[in-house]
Amino acid sequence: MNIHSYEKLWLIAALLLIVGFIATITYGSVGLGIAMIDDSEDTVNPGSLDEDFGEPRVEHVGENEYEAYVIAQTFTYRPDPIEVPADSEVTFYVTSRDVIHSFSVVGTNVNTMVIPGEVSSMTVEFDDPGEYGIVCNEYCGDFHHTMEGQLHVVPEDEFDMTELSVEADDEVELGDEATFNVSVENGMLDDLETTASFEIGDETVEEEITVAGESTEETTFTVDSSDLGEGDHDWTITVDDYEESGTLTVVDELEEENDGGNNDE
Amino acid sequence: MSNAYIDQFPAEAKVVKALFYSSFVALALGGVFGIIQTLHRTDIYRFIDSANYYSVLTAHGVFMVITFTIFFLVGVFTWAVTTSLDREVEDIRFTWAWVALMSIGTVMAAVPILAGLTDSIDMSAAVLFTFYAPLQGHPLFYLGLVLFVVGTWVAGADWFRSWWAWKKENPDARIPLPTFMVLTTMIMWYIATMGVATSILVFLLPWSLGWIETVNPLLTRTLFWFFGHPVVYFWLMPAYMMWYVMLPKFSGGKLFSDPLARVGFVLFLLLSTPVGIHHQYLDPGISEGFKFIAMTNTMFLLLPSLLTAFTVVASMEHGARQRGGTGYFGWLKALPWRDPVFAGMALAGLLFAAAGFSGMVNAGMNINYLVHNSLWVVGHFHLTVGTAVALTFMAVSYWFIPQVTGKELWNRSVALVQVVLWFIGMTFMTNSMHRAGLIGMPRRTAEPQYEGFEFETAVGSVGELDAQIALGGVLLTLSLVLFFANIIGTAFGSRSDTLPDNGYAEALSGSDDAPRVLDNLKLWTAIAIVLVIFAYSLPLLSIVDRGGLFGPDIPPLPVSLESVTFLAFAVEHVATVALESAGNFAQTALSGVIN
Amino acid sequence: MGQATEESEQLQEIGHDEYDPVGTLALIGLYFLILVFLWLFVYFVEFLGNDPTVIGTMLIGGIA
Repeated sequence: MNIHSYEKLWLIAALLLIVGFIATITYGSVGLGIAMIDDSEDTVNPGSLDEDFGEPRVEHVGENEYEAYVIAQTFTYRPDPIEVPADSEVTFYVTSRDVIHSFSVVGTNVNTMVIPGEVSSMTVEFDDPGEYGIVCNEYCGDFHHTMEGQLHVVPEDEFDMTELSVEADDEVELGDEATFNVSVENGMLDDLETTASFEIGDETVEEEITVAGESTEETTFTVDSSDLGEGDHDWTITVDDYEESGTLTVVDELEEENDGGNNDE
Repeated sequence: MSNAYIDQFPAEAKVVKALFYSSFVALALGGVFGIIQTLHRTDIYRFIDSANYYSVLTAHGVFMVITFTIFFLVGVFTWAVTTSLDREVEDIRFTWAWVALMSIGTVMAAVPILAGLTDSIDMSAAVLFTFYAPLQGHPLFYLGLVLFVVGTWVAGADWFRSWWAWKKENPDARIPLPTFMVLTTMIMWYIATMGVATSILVFLLPWSLGWIETVNPLLTRTLFWFFGHPVVYFWLMPAYMMWYVMLPKFSGGKLFSDPLARVGFVLFLLLSTPVGIHHQYLDPGISEGFKFIAMTNTMFLLLPSLLTAFTVVASMEHGARQRGGTGYFGWLKALPWRDPVFAGMALAGLLFAAAGFSGMVNAGMNINYLVHNSLWVVGHFHLTVGTAVALTFMAVSYWFIPQVTGKELWNRSVALVQVVLWFIGMTFMTNSMHRAGLIGMPRRTAEPQYEGFEFETAVGSVGELDAQIALGGVLLTLSLVLFFANIIGTAFGSRSDTLPDNGYAEALSGSDDAPRVLDNLKLWTAIAIVLVIFAYSLPLLSIVDRGGLFGPDIPPLPVSLESVTFLAFAVEHVATVALESAGNFAQTALSGVIN
Repeated sequence: MGQATEESEQLQEIGHDEYDPVGTLALIGLYFLILVFLWLFVYFVEFLGNDPTVIGTMLIGGIA
């Protein structure tokens, strides 16, 4: 077989091109540490994600390290929005409850297929705050085009994983004491030192509380209804940026069947 | 009296003509769905419900890349084998049988796809060209695909029969180049379709009929891509064949190197299949090592395409120089640019060079985080199958249709405008699709306009990109209208005696220069199978090991419901009746023998 | 209207040994340069500039 010398030259150039491409990709993997989605996660049963995978959530797992457990299903992502702080390293674990989806953060290289039964894990560094859209780029049914979510990378000093909930009386009899059970959950690893403040009528009570990492602290505010008098009284409980509020009704005499109410809002 | 294909092989010309016309019907339908979806997703003009977009998309994909391309290419292959072996098919009834099989399969698959557009029939197959489980199409869709593929298998058998018969009469002759190309392509196709056949027959069809409860979505998806990448070479190989054996002739020259053409096709046979995992770079459940192996194979698959680029351009240059062309680039002016056949094929080749680049990016493992499932990919394959293949097929039709009908082409100028319009339309459409992909715009979406965020362009705007895509779509539609005007005009013309002779290009460096080992198809088949086993056995075992053969407990998500149970019942019923009557027949026969 | 393909207006016959595809070499050399440039651009500007990017848990930092 005689091959023209020009074509031999091109053959060599073509091989160089191919080797160059493979070398670039390898540099990306080894030199820059770009990792592929792989088989490192155990499989899950899409029918029992609650046990295998747990609730959709973000967890604080180390200093500046977070894990986001995301469930994709027709036609939403949970949690939505996903909130993480800037200057952090986030590992996403994404799985599907039903058909094949994708989890693609628009304008970034965070992009994976989401296959039921499999978990895609991706570690990503977020240096700066920003808001990103998440789209499903794999056709998943009639309303595929409506499947989107949000990823919020918030400034570090604005980020917390605090959750405030309040259980309060709705109605009390004049002269009785009204109680407000406050629980503050801290999802971060570090202790949370903060102040819970309670406002009702003209009265304000403040209490310093410390919530240990990954735990919940409870406290109770009480108020004597005689001080408030008969009628409706608005109250507010504030912890950092979180606020719960409601109305306490003080009545002359409680009706028989009324159990006093124990709703938190 | 002319010596066109219809004069040499009148019976075969009828078959080829039927195949071409069938492919054109699919092209017309595909084109209608194409313009509907272009205007819909760019939000220029929407008149269908967005939920129906996916039926339109499925129809566009299946009609274009399965029906149009494959019907056309089996026609070309039939022409190539009969012409280059200079013998009729062994049995024309056998030939018509596979044409019928392919046609029945197409109709069966088309019915549920089109039924998905209307609410009055509870059938749908809006599962797109990739039919990923757990999305579930109507069983008729899967059955149709199976029949269609079986039809192509039988077609391959037809060509092998011809070759075996010819070899007996010509024991020492080299396989003529066009036949060599047909045979290597078909061997690749046999290997590749094992994946989709397994996926459908073992998993998806029984599952859609309710005979098995679940499937492993990663497994069926991997089996799809086992077939899904080589299928693109199944479309491309006939276009390459046209570039190798016809384009030099239309350029006024000879094929630069027959041996290198053979080397190219052998490389495609070896490397087309063990690369499918490069469509799954972003899939969980497949290790990075397997992905890297798939990438290496894919990158080396560039080699035969890059070699083709040289050989084909050198063949054109040979023609140009024989026509008096000179200089480093000046020879390009000496090429017959006013000939629609030449111009269409050359422009298709030019856009294929651009497609080569986006394909190299697609092949890169980690860069897929940027482009995977974005509009970039759609831009890429509109350059490959949508231009390199489709435009080559349309252009060469202007030569083939007179050959198989015996009629002169209706209008050459219209043909020239048609191929140039396609080139311009695709240039608008694909450059903007690539750019839209880079800003993260997803493919396969009815409304890529989202509530929570906007796509950010560095240059231009989303509106400008959409406008370019839509303009491209309109030009392409116009181009199709001109194409059909020409085909219909030709079909209604009268017989001509002045057609060019049937034939293909000679080679400067002929088959005598090619080492004989190149013609050893058994050897290449064996190596191809070994490579496939190397590339796929471990990933498949690992996927089955992880997720189970039939996957976890996931309910199917049927795109249609009620008629499935009926069909399952009907299939069972027919099978039972067939078995019973077979039993009765056997009994009768047996008692007849005994008595 | 004539046939789809005009008969080639051949002026000279160029045989195997007297033909050097120098124009092809020039064109394909140009193509090579375009490929290299575009590859570098898309990988290092479009891809690596599109961060954040997925990194392995072992290798932290270092991405442009």
